[in-house]
Amino acid sequence: MTTALALLGYALLAAWGAPALLAPLTGSGASVRPALAAWLSAMISALASAALGSALIAQTGLADWPTFTRLLCRGVAGTACTPQVYGSALYSGGVAILAILLTLAALVALWRYGRRTHRAVTRTRLHARAALLAGRELAGTGAVVLDDPRPAAYCVAGRPAAIVVTSGALAVLDRPQLAAVLAHERAHLAGRHHLLATLTRGLTAAFPGVPLFTRGAQEVARLAELAADGRAARSSGRHALVAALLAMATGSAVPGAAVPRPGPAVQGALAAAGYAVPARVERLLRPPAPRLAAAVGLLLAVMSCAFLLLPAALAALPHW
Amino acid sequence: MDRVWDHGGPVTVRELYDELRQTRAIAYTTVMSTMDNLHRKSWLARERDGKAYRYTAVASREEYSARLMREALAEAGDAEAVLSHFVAAMDGGQAEALRAVLDKFTGSTGRLS
Repeated sequence: MTTALALLGYALLAAWGAPALLAPLTGSGASVRPALAAWLSAMISALASAALGSALIAQTGLADWPTFTRLLCRGVAGTACTPQVYGSALYSGGVAILAILLTLAALVALWRYGRRTHRAVTRTRLHARAALLAGRELAGTGAVVLDDPRPAAYCVAGRPAAIVVTSGALAVLDRPQLAAVLAHERAHLAGRHHLLATLTRGLTAAFPGVPLFTRGAQEVARLAELAADGRAARSSGRHALVAALLAMATGSAVPGAAVPRPGPAVQGALAAAGYAVPARVERLLRPPAPRLAAAVGLLLAVMSCAFLLLPAALAALPHW
Repeated sequence: MDRVWDHGGPVTVRELYDELRQTRAIAYTTVMSTMDNLHRKSWLARERDGKAYRYTAVASREEYSARLMREALAEAGDAEAVLSHFVAAMDGGQAEALRAVLDKFTGSTGRLS
């Protein structure tokens, strides 16, 4: 019983506490792959220990209900738990109701995850197929062009996957910039970032309001952009990529709305960090120092291992 | 699909096959099964004309493009299809931060202006 409670306690701690631990390390974008691994490991860790803890509790409860309620009482309240308490119908009934509610909550979460994921997969495949049929081939690139004045470029997974560029994007990009954009999108597909997005969004739908999953989905999306930027910068050059980012980002802005508004003073890195595009531009113009990146990467790798091992370690501990 | 759109009016498999055959080696059955596929996926409507079917596009290329872009640019952050955009649309604050970043770098390196 202590093992099960420890597992569940850890799962709750990880679900609410891990973001505070990870965000400062992954926020800088100094070490992208280890950062992705750390967020995913934390999610897997929390889910695995919750599942393991629940399974242990279910097993004990189904096998011998009276012993289970007594052990649960002892496990939670220690010596304050007297026979009058765990023998009472009120306590036993309360535990039963709680167990039913928790089971229902788990089923709802599972159903939400399944529904969200299923919809995402069908909509995504449908979009890819439609884009390939409706778009015009962009010679020599494997991308298709859709007519729309708004500059946009995106990739969509499917069988086959599609990279879509609007005519508005072609109007604001020169050749090297277009190559950088396409390299960025190809990196998303090659890195299977859509799978990460589908998984993390499904978990957010399953557990709305749980920081590890809500914040985690955002961070994974942001880190995937940085990973794709990294690959595009290597193949097409930093400056082409930065120029492409600027052309696409500002080209879509309505001239009137682009007028600067007086606001809080903008202070370089800190102000930019909250915004996706400025932060990406800044990171491309001033890449993180290799030593810092290596140190952060190592720390994140150690944390990933710890996250993955903890549920097993907790489960393997002898009954204390 | 391109061919049907370019054709304008209703078209039979035979007509399309004759057109396609002039530019590349393609089997009649391939054209037929492709069009049958597109019909099943509701891209093409068909009506019987004697022994053959006449196919028409259900919607124009422009209508499909518009529909796709609506889905692609529906950035409520809650779009169901998983699309990886190159850049998301920027709001005022974001543009301002971008300008600040650029000013910082143009001041020191002068490589971007």
